[in-house]
Amino acid sequence: MWSKQSNQALGDFEQLVLLGVLRLGDDAYGAAIRQEIHNRSGRDVSINAVYTTLERLQGKGFLRSWAGEPTPQRGGRRRKFYALRPSGEAALRQAYRAITAMAGGLEARLGAK
Amino acid sequence: MAPPALAVWLLKRRLSGDWLEFVLGDLEEEFHSRAAASPSAARRWFWRQAIRCAARPLAHHAVRLTPAASGDSNVSMILSDLRYAFRTLSRAPAFALAVVVVLALGIGVNTAIFSIVNTVLLRPLPYEQSDRLVRLFHVPPQSTFPGIRRFSVSPANFYDWQHDARLFDGMAIYGGRQFALASSTGAESVVAGAVGAGFFEVVGTPAALGRVFSPDEDAPGHGRVAILSDRFWRSHFGAARDVVGRTITLDADAYTIVGVMPARFSVLSWGAAARDIWVPMAFTDKERAVRDNHNDAVVARLKPGVTIERAQAEMNAISQRLERDYPQENTGWGATIVTLQELIVGDIRTTLLMLLGAVGLVLLIACANVGNLLFARGLGRRKELAIRSALGAGRGRVLQQLLTESLVLAAAGGLAGLLLARISLSVAATILADQVPRADEISIDARVALFVAGATILTGVLAGLMPALRAGGADLNDGLKEGGRHEGAVGIRTRRLLIVCEVALSVVLLMGAGVMVRTLVALRQVDAGVDTHNVLTMRVVLPETRYREAAQVGRFFDTALARIRAIPGVQFAGAIDNLPFQGGSVQPIVHEGAAELLPRDQPTVAVRKIMSGYLQTLRVPLLRGRDIAETDTNVMLVSRGAAKMLWGDVDPIGRRVTLPLEEKGVLKTVIGIVGDVKTDELSQPPMATVYEYRHESEWRFRTLVARTVVPPTSISQAATAAIQSIDPQQPVTNIQTMDDVVDQTLTSQRFSALVLGLFATLALALASVGIYSVLSYIVRGRTREIGIRTALGARMFDVLRMVISEGMWPTLVGIAVGTVGALGSAKLLEKVVFGVSASDPLTLAAVGGTLAAVALLASLVPAYRASRIDPLDALRAD
Repeated sequence: MWSKQSNQALGDFEQLVLLGVLRLGDDAYGAAIRQEIHNRSGRDVSINAVYTTLERLQGKGFLRSWAGEPTPQRGGRRRKFYALRPSGEAALRQAYRAITAMAGGLEARLGAK
Repeated sequence: MAPPALAVWLLKRRLSGDWLEFVLGDLEEEFHSRAAASPSAARRWFWRQAIRCAARPLAHHAVRLTPAASGDSNVSMILSDLRYAFRTLSRAPAFALAVVVVLALGIGVNTAIFSIVNTVLLRPLPYEQSDRLVRLFHVPPQSTFPGIRRFSVSPANFYDWQHDARLFDGMAIYGGRQFALASSTGAESVVAGAVGAGFFEVVGTPAALGRVFSPDEDAPGHGRVAILSDRFWRSHFGAARDVVGRTITLDADAYTIVGVMPARFSVLSWGAAARDIWVPMAFTDKERAVRDNHNDAVVARLKPGVTIERAQAEMNAISQRLERDYPQENTGWGATIVTLQELIVGDIRTTLLMLLGAVGLVLLIACANVGNLLFARGLGRRKELAIRSALGAGRGRVLQQLLTESLVLAAAGGLAGLLLARISLSVAATILADQVPRADEISIDARVALFVAGATILTGVLAGLMPALRAGGADLNDGLKEGGRHEGAVGIRTRRLLIVCEVALSVVLLMGAGVMVRTLVALRQVDAGVDTHNVLTMRVVLPETRYREAAQVGRFFDTALARIRAIPGVQFAGAIDNLPFQGGSVQPIVHEGAAELLPRDQPTVAVRKIMSGYLQTLRVPLLRGRDIAETDTNVMLVSRGAAKMLWGDVDPIGRRVTLPLEEKGVLKTVIGIVGDVKTDELSQPPMATVYEYRHESEWRFRTLVARTVVPPTSISQAATAAIQSIDPQQPVTNIQTMDDVVDQTLTSQRFSALVLGLFATLALALASVGIYSVLSYIVRGRTREIGIRTALGARMFDVLRMVISEGMWPTLVGIAVGTVGALGSAKLLEKVVFGVSASDPLTLAAVGGTLAAVALLASLVPAYRASRIDPLDALRAD
């Protein structure tokens, strides 16, 4: 369905967040994802936006989450970890294919800034 | 190092349960790694993150994890309203700017005036327990000094007061002195305060550097010590810390500097002449015993808990005893107590409160104007608001949204207004220094900030409420159906009412400004008895140490006048001790052969000493007899008023009188009658005056006057040079034109006229903008109607008349309402006007006419636009 498809397509920021989760593997929690996005893409987003997106992606069934153990450097507070579900990996793969397909042959122009 | 506690608190309030734990943990973790690099940047980062979390708390989006805590909705609603307000306003920058400018003007002038009121009337004086500080005065016999309630004090009476009074912690005598200061750059005149023992203890201010005078220094021979003001210390000693112990040469005597007073010790503000230097009074025994010459000031500190009434009762008892003991000197002389605060601000209070009232009206007009603008905008947004209502926004919700918008605008206006007030106060600092006591203390403090906050909220609510109520209550169906087109009929009545208010308030302000301007004009036209144009004046005070002999003094001034007369462009030159409007001696006068009566029964006259040439220079008419000649001795000219008072219809020429206060038994012969000259204020009748002349005299204080055929200030340098060619060390001060001298008596009226005029202009501008905007709006709303009328044969003139009358009606109603208001407030102004009534019908008519004309002008553009409406276009647009 049209609406179903549009629901499954990933937004720009959703892609960044999912890639962040993928990169970080077992260590994917809010602050780490935020910093990964900041360091790599230069976008200094709020922790709020990161969690909002993570929750939305989880709502779509792309992610699963669990609470970790309390750690001292964060005042004895727990972290909330995320990991990709297969559907999330599929969506990410589809998005990546779309962008590489569309960008094919344009590497010289897009790369040369 | 911990994250900012307030930001953490904010997060704790906004997040709940698990989210609080995860988010706070994340933020704290990253904060610590960032703080290692830069703690301040980390704090800023933490704040940014916290605010973004608080603005859109996670709980709302992730309902599954934690349900929204109750109470959150209010804060988030306000935040979302704020965001929405900023967004919509940024889309209408012209509108937002117009509103902010109007509010900034309104709040700015209010803040400026309130800053003055705050400093002068509300803030305590900068002395310890200043509410216990009082000044003591003589009350002179009313028969000889009618209307004068405060008179300087004589030394002997003061020492009796000081000895007898029990309800005071201390009492000190002081007075002014002028010294010539020897300096490397030549001669300089310094204004000094001569203070009796205990002066600084009574005032309660210790020296900032060194010490104050000790009691034994208030004695002849011991008084060669000086205390510097902070100002003088900075200007003359470069604020050197080791100044104590150095010497300073005043009138050729060496004084040892013993202390420096702190900057806040500004005696200038309470009438003591001292602002540069203080020296001990150091009266001789002979000077202490003077009882009948009243020249000194007294400051005292009440004992804790003593009321003015009790202290006054004690002073009355002492005065009665002194009247009994010294009837010749003291009969009819009482004493009065005035708090220092009252003395300093008493005169200005009425003016300031009047201005505060006036400026409040300006704020109300600004509110009405902004209300108008918001109203127009609210109507333009009817469709948007209707859609919001249709989507479920309650009336209160819409109202809150609109009020948020007007408060955001008001806050911007308030900030800009605060800035405006700061700028205008610093620009006006020099004018204020002449007008307002304690002007040097004026600043924007916490109370002013509070005032601005209050004014901002008040304006935001006042200006926003009515439009918000009207818009919020608009019919949903209409709004959606008509798509915001036929808005002409909606809210016109409200907007007319706003015009009525603006115009009425403007009438009151313009009336106030009008009568103040007329007062100023009337005072300027008063015949002072002298011709003030083209006269240069300058003051010369010869120090006693270098001009001991009367012959020396006489020779100096004779030479000075001769050299001034020789300057090209000078027509006449002369001298007097005190110029008109600059105070001077008032003394009892006794006919030859008559016994000296008690002071209260003795006629008194203003006594002026003059040198020949004075009458021609100031063009004081010689009515009978002859002018003084340089060879005269002990002669006298009398004013017409003095002649009538002393001799009635009898010819006074050749009669002889004594001035017992000056020289007992020396007879002075009347040789002529001259015209009356005003001595105190232009609004007061001239005082009976005698002018005495004696060639040889120890009279060291003289004001030289020169009539010129060139602009008087162009010869100032030549005149100074002429005087200093006699004695290079002799300072020449107060070089100014006679016009300026008269002008200085009008400063308070000019201040009121200027400020009220400014407010009135502002009000007029705001009102005309208001009328213009309402009419433009009406014309836009009635385009179709006008088009049909034109199609049906209405002529251009009919359309013009229709639109103009639309603007003129509320204006005329406003003028009528304002007239009533102006007449009501006339009582307040009656005290400060002169030569015109505060409810003067002519001024009122002019004000009404001006407003009507301005309203007409403001109506013309929209009316012209309406008359050019092409019926085809107007109908097709439907």
